[in-house]
Amino acid sequence: MGTVAYKTGARRRRGKRWLSMGGYYLVVVAVLFVWVFPVIWTFATSFKARTDIFTIPPTIFFLPTLDSYIFALTRRPVLAYLRDSFIIASIATALALVLAVPAGYAYARLRFRLRGRLSFFLLFMQMLPYLGLTVPFFVILSRLKWTDTYQGLVLVNLAVVIPTATWLMITYFQDLPREMEEAAAVDGATHWQTFLQVMLPQAYGGVAVAAIFTYLWVWNEFLFAVILSGSKVRPFTVGMYGFLQFEENLWGPLTATACMAMLPVIIVALLAQRHIIRGLTLGAVK
Amino acid sequence: MPPVGNGFREASPSAGSHRAVAAGSRVRLRSRSAQESRFAWLMISPGLLLMVMLGTFPLVALVGLSFFRLDLSSLQRTGWVGLGNYARLLADNRFWHSLQLAAIYAVSSVTLQIVIGMALALLLFRTFPGQGLVRTLVLLPMILAPVVVGILWRTLLLTPRFGLFDYFVSSIGLGSHGWLDEPTLALVSVIVIHTWQWTPFAFLVFLASLHALPVEPLEQAHLDCVARWQELWYVILPLLRPAIVIVLILRSIQGLNAFAAVYAATGGGPGTATEILNLYTYQTAFVQLSIGYGSALGTVQLLLTVAIAVAFFRIRRSEWAQ
Repeated sequence: MGTVAYKTGARRRRGKRWLSMGGYYLVVVAVLFVWVFPVIWTFATSFKARTDIFTIPPTIFFLPTLDSYIFALTRRPVLAYLRDSFIIASIATALALVLAVPAGYAYARLRFRLRGRLSFFLLFMQMLPYLGLTVPFFVILSRLKWTDTYQGLVLVNLAVVIPTATWLMITYFQDLPREMEEAAAVDGATHWQTFLQVMLPQAYGGVAVAAIFTYLWVWNEFLFAVILSGSKVRPFTVGMYGFLQFEENLWGPLTATACMAMLPVIIVALLAQRHIIRGLTLGAVK
Repeated sequence: MPPVGNGFREASPSAGSHRAVAAGSRVRLRSRSAQESRFAWLMISPGLLLMVMLGTFPLVALVGLSFFRLDLSSLQRTGWVGLGNYARLLADNRFWHSLQLAAIYAVSSVTLQIVIGMALALLLFRTFPGQGLVRTLVLLPMILAPVVVGILWRTLLLTPRFGLFDYFVSSIGLGSHGWLDEPTLALVSVIVIHTWQWTPFAFLVFLASLHALPVEPLEQAHLDCVARWQELWYVILPLLRPAIVIVLILRSIQGLNAFAAVYAATGGGPGTATEILNLYTYQTAFVQLSIGYGSALGTVQLLLTVAIAVAFFRIRRSEWAQ
């Protein structure tokens, strides 16, 4: 994105657009109201006392309280949910990166037989129907007695995140300049040295994109978790859904759990905002 | 990993330099490219292997399972049924209903995402203080877990009387509704929820593409209204075609794969009013434990996905031909 380009004076001088200034700000406010306000409202609700939650009209000014957080943390195993999500997402991300970064480099820069075909295969593997994947996984993991375990959930998530992380690394390596690689080859560096000492240090940005995207995906995952987890291993997505089933009016603890689960990812994701779009478009939009 | 690297380092200089001296640069190039190929396979094979084991093999198993009767609730009836599950599928009204709902859900929400996202991108495409902030903040819905989105809409926004959305609607005189309790309204609601979460994606992709346009099509200040619409239609939209195609394909696939938000918001109900194909498959395979029939349903989903993926390949082939 031409951050520099569109801030120059030439563009700013431009005449009328589709909207006047007033209209522009009206649209901005509408956009923020529709897409941001519900999130803020959730955040606010998590600090409300129960009497402030169910009111008509909705309470805007209220005395903040941590009751909902205390309830969620002490009366419900929210910490265990978050721990399980953390373990699964961390292991899956680490494994995906170890496999995807070298592979991404090879697909992007090296010549080998079947490269084109394998790239297609990789692209296709990103479009797996998740539910179709889950049925045989359920059968296989049941046989192995691996349902309701960390390794089972890590494996099924890897099926989705390895292709995506590899693809992201490919698009990143493709954009790096070739000069240093060629210089390294002239200097007699081996392929392995070239990759490890020349290319990898330039690709840290791409590794970060792949890491954030993978982590976010596994952290937010629900379908695999609800089918393949149980009473021992329970990511927060399933835990939160469990809340809903019996206690639909526990809005306070529900929103408090949502905030505890989502705030860390929101902060990281907002810091890396441009990379999120890159990840979601499989690197097509930079 | 280190042993692989060491072995490689030892092997390469000896082979490379000897032949280079003996037979000149062509041989050296060839051995270098053989090495390159070998090295590339070392780099890709662990990931490839895992992908085949965890992705390809289960999908083959899925198709295989669809030829069996396999009911975990009554194991004695297990056995090969050939195309029996597919015959049952053709006569299953609930399946056709869920397929139809999946199509309605995916097509309408993708259309809405593209139209709204495009409109907002065009309206807000200018350099302004605050644009960076808007771009950052609208990311929020996309970062949230879909199941959390479904839960929050079901409770905080759509609950009759106490939900924020319901409060706004009734305060402008349209009355309070059971947004997730009336069949048609529930379908509209789950489509709106999905559209809400993913329109920012289309918006941000289109905005980035507008900023990356080679020309400044929106810039002729002297153009009148008709000319502007013509410019939009004949100049801008064709230039944005790649971005539109990307959003269309990716969101269609994700729309077909949607599960968590609908599951959390309605669970497919009331009745089967929001039971899209994915939810029916879930219900069949994991609630009724009819693995065989569930696999047949999953195979239908697989075929739909393949169809969209093939369209995607056709469009991207030119880029990958190189």
